[in-house]
Amino acid sequence: MSDIDKIISSKLPKGRSLWQDGLRRLWKRKLAMICFAVILIYFLLAGFIYAAELFHWHVGPIQWQEEVGRQYESPGWKHVFGTDIFGQSVLRKMLYGAKISITVALCASIISIVIGVPLGAIAGYFRGVTDEIIVWVYSTLSSIPYILLILAFAVVLRDKALFGYKLTGITTVYLAIGLTSWVGICRLIRGEVIKHKNREYVMAAQSYGCSNSRIIFRHLLPNVFHLVIIDFSLRFVSFIHAEVILSFLGLGEATRPSWGAMINDARIELSRGVWWQMAAATAAIFFISLALNIFGDALRDSLDPKLRIQ
Amino acid sequence: MMGQHKLSQKDFALKFLSVLFTAVLFIAGCDRQPSDANSLDIVLQHRLNAKVQTLDPADIGDVISDAVAEEIFECLYQYHYLKRPYQLIPQLAEDMPQVSEDRLSYTIRIKKGVYFSDDACFENGKGKELKAGDFVYAWKRIANVKSLSKNWWIFDGKIAGLDEFRAYTKGCKSRGEVDYSRAVEGLQTPDDYTLVIKLKKPWPQITYLLAHLPTAAIAKETEDYYGKDIISHPVGTGPFKLKVWNRGSFIEMVKNTNYRTVLYPSQGDADDSVKGLLRDAGKPLPFCDRIVWRIVTEDQPRWLMFLQGDIDITSIPKDNFGQAIAPGIELTADMKERNIKLATFREPDTFWVGFNMEDPVLGKNKPLRLAISCAIDRQKWIELFFNGRGDVAYGFIPPIMPGYDPNIKTFSKTEYNPEKAKVLLRQAKDLHGGELGILKLSMPGTDTTYRQMGQFLQTAFLNIGLQVEAEYLDWPSYLEKLRTKGVQMYSSGWIADYPDVENFMQVFYSKTSPWPNSSNYCNAEFDKIYEMASVMPDSNERTELYRQAERIVVEDAPCAFMFHRVFYVMHHEWIENFKPNSYKSDSFGYGLSKYYRIDAAKRAAYQKKYK
Repeated sequence: MSDIDKIISSKLPKGRSLWQDGLRRLWKRKLAMICFAVILIYFLLAGFIYAAELFHWHVGPIQWQEEVGRQYESPGWKHVFGTDIFGQSVLRKMLYGAKISITVALCASIISIVIGVPLGAIAGYFRGVTDEIIVWVYSTLSSIPYILLILAFAVVLRDKALFGYKLTGITTVYLAIGLTSWVGICRLIRGEVIKHKNREYVMAAQSYGCSNSRIIFRHLLPNVFHLVIIDFSLRFVSFIHAEVILSFLGLGEATRPSWGAMINDARIELSRGVWWQMAAATAAIFFISLALNIFGDALRDSLDPKLRIQ
Repeated sequence: MMGQHKLSQKDFALKFLSVLFTAVLFIAGCDRQPSDANSLDIVLQHRLNAKVQTLDPADIGDVISDAVAEEIFECLYQYHYLKRPYQLIPQLAEDMPQVSEDRLSYTIRIKKGVYFSDDACFENGKGKELKAGDFVYAWKRIANVKSLSKNWWIFDGKIAGLDEFRAYTKGCKSRGEVDYSRAVEGLQTPDDYTLVIKLKKPWPQITYLLAHLPTAAIAKETEDYYGKDIISHPVGTGPFKLKVWNRGSFIEMVKNTNYRTVLYPSQGDADDSVKGLLRDAGKPLPFCDRIVWRIVTEDQPRWLMFLQGDIDITSIPKDNFGQAIAPGIELTADMKERNIKLATFREPDTFWVGFNMEDPVLGKNKPLRLAISCAIDRQKWIELFFNGRGDVAYGFIPPIMPGYDPNIKTFSKTEYNPEKAKVLLRQAKDLHGGELGILKLSMPGTDTTYRQMGQFLQTAFLNIGLQVEAEYLDWPSYLEKLRTKGVQMYSSGWIADYPDVENFMQVFYSKTSPWPNSSNYCNAEFDKIYEMASVMPDSNERTELYRQAERIVVEDAPCAFMFHRVFYVMHHEWIENFKPNSYKSDSFGYGLSKYYRIDAAKRAAYQKKYK
């Protein structure tokens, strides 16, 4: 570097990338950070339960089967959320439910991103017949009511073997949700890629003779990936809800406690005045839903390039 | 003027549309409600907890459809309404059958002057007289492969020539092509009022089956007129006839004006007179003018409707048990204040955890099966899931069934002893030659209660160190799995169709594997006893054979016997003459509605107070 260059660069203000800038703005939002902490707690809890099961740690949530009291004990100091029909701790079941919900939402999100993002990028980049086929497929899928489609997938997949691995409970649930919910992200990425396709950096890559796959995956996708993250944070909530609905309808996880199954159990218990199982599951869903929604909104605002200019 | 004219046209169109819309709503609304609730008719208000599938007796395979159809159709025989133990008496037959010495021929005289209800399918809409041929036709329909009847099991291999008739129908292209005039050797009608049944081998249970709804009389005219739609156009000889069937909502029946004179029984059990069950002795049936069945699938609305007086009879939902029944099995003060009555009765059923005897792990490992049996706390099971409404089962014969062995407890393997279970499990592992792995338990439902039951069993097995994975299947998938021998352990049971232990023994007979012998149990000695006893007439010798057979099953433990249910039925005080019948289950009707008398004034007073 010549002396002149050094002088110029030292005079120029230090630049920040889109990500750095976004995260900086996010950090300033206190409510968003509190929500992020809540989300982190849920994730850590799920991770902790996985670890406890793997290493056989004797901790509460994984010993949810243990009888800790009498049948239907109301909440108190001894049992914060009371006990269920078998005298099992509702609190432990609620905590264990976090593992099921986070696993389902995470796996379903990954499946939908893995399917939706490349398809959207390919459709947007190539257009023509490829685009028409992909648009036709997702239009057909999105014309079927979402819950009915998930139910149909869940029923079809249940107890079937996939590559020699038998699909049961939780696996069926996240496969059913993942395979049916890639349409939104696919549509979003397609639109964004169409917009970016004629930008200079893409044309430059084309004139350099880069292959189409390199342009899509190395140039286009990194530039639209912030949308995937925003979409992920908002979609995560709807996947948790979908798991709850499936379990409530008896198509989800049946052998371990999940929030949907807890609400299903509580439905008939309410008439005998047992409200605590319903309250515990609902509270667990409420807090993560609220946190994810607020955090998702904040993330969108922070990563929006237009807001950056303002 | 033009403008005005246009306006009035538009105005007219709007008015016309609004009138049309109101009319459509009105018509739709009319169809959604049973007939005028304020009429002077005496109405019996039943409820059903599922949709009625069909009202064609040949097609009926579920209890709900059966319960409703029994008010319309009649069989040759029926159970005496009041007498216990259960006793068969003639219904459409003149008297009990005359049986030949070789017990292969049954001659049954049919009542004269019995008419089908009036219906468009008959000439001039007037119901025709019942003839012996209507039974022959009904049974041939069951044999007809093309009619896809669920009830062929009743006659399979029993009546001379009927299997051949079934084989003939296989060659027909459609159900309409079957020639019902084709003679069947074992079903003869020497005259219009005599029916002769010839059997291939003695079948002492035949009279019970002739009281079973699928064998009811059907007029050929009905199927000729309605074709496949016969399922929603039931035409029978019973006390009621169908008026409205609003699928998923309600069913309404009205009195059959052609119903012959049938009187309320004059004799009953010793205490029936004290209970006021003989007050209507000798009076013509039925007592009410209409029956309305409301289809209420959820427990809570059903319970609330009962408390408001919109349903007359109900069973008690598990979660409302505490509200209705106080400790010591009596009604709570609230229920007493409402003058609600409680009737309890035992069902002829047994429930068990079955083992697939062809499974390589369970089949040859008796200590394992016994360990599983010892691990289950049946008393707690009954307490948790049935509010204590049940008896622990020690064998397959229910206590209310004639032939029950009072000494079965001494032979039984039913006990709750986790320590013994652990010892047995160690033996089982030695026999198996190592760890047993994870066993699979199939449950016949996916709802909360089945899930909790599965969880209860899993925990019980885990307590003795046995890992079991529960799978929850919907009813068709569960049946399919049993029928393809795809289960390892399964939760199941059997409710007797008639008061003869033979009905239960089918479940363990090797030739009925895999259905209903879902444990695929095979014991030559048991089979021999079954083959001998099933053709014997009722006698002490036969009872002894039944008991021997039960002891063999208990010893081999192809299943861990769990419990027999006890039913609690509640009814309002305005229902008189209510006596539960174990073979015509709890509160759905089952052809017993004709005996119920309703005090409409009491109902009105109750509804005024509580609704």
